[in-house]
Amino acid sequence: CSRLHTKPSISPTLLLSNMYQRPDMITPGVDAQGNPIDPRKIQEHFEEFYEDLFEELSKYGEIESLNICDNLADHMVGNVYVQFREEEHAANALRNLSGRYYSGRPIIVDFSPVTDFREATCR
Amino acid sequence: SRSRSKSKRISGFDMAPPASAMLAAGAAAAAAAGQIPGTSPTLPGVF
Repeated sequence: CSRLHTKPSISPTLLLSNMYQRPDMITPGVDAQGNPIDPRKIQEHFEEFYEDLFEELSKYGEIESLNICDNLADHMVGNVYVQFREEEHAANALRNLSGRYYSGRPIIVDFSPVTDFREATCR
Repeated sequence: SRSRSKSKRISGFDMAPPASAMLAAGAAAAAAAGQIPGTSPTLPGVF
């Protein structure tokens, strides 16, 4: 959606905006040079991204859930939602990730109001 | 702690943008504020 959602001042969940970039994000199944990509390569790319994230985020606390939006639509594209067990762990991660880079792109991190991903709809 | 049998791939964390991309920091900030520019799919034949 295009609504502006309020960002809570504290939450166990963090949102890392537009962090995951699919190799075929311009055209599905095709890379930026127009060459077809093996679906296994895309899966591998995703898994490596997930692993990088999980490893880094685990330094700041126990992870309850880690969701990566692997979509191609404009909305929420590549957004990563990470829910920690404790709010203070999320706060610690936020402090440590702010101003850093991932694969040459700045990491945009904020608290997210989402605490239950099954109920995560726009209200 | 998990065991690591395979050699560790270099993590993408703290991979700074190349110097040339730093010049486009303004563009990066714009991307950060909203969505990534220039990624809306152009449909052939649709204007």
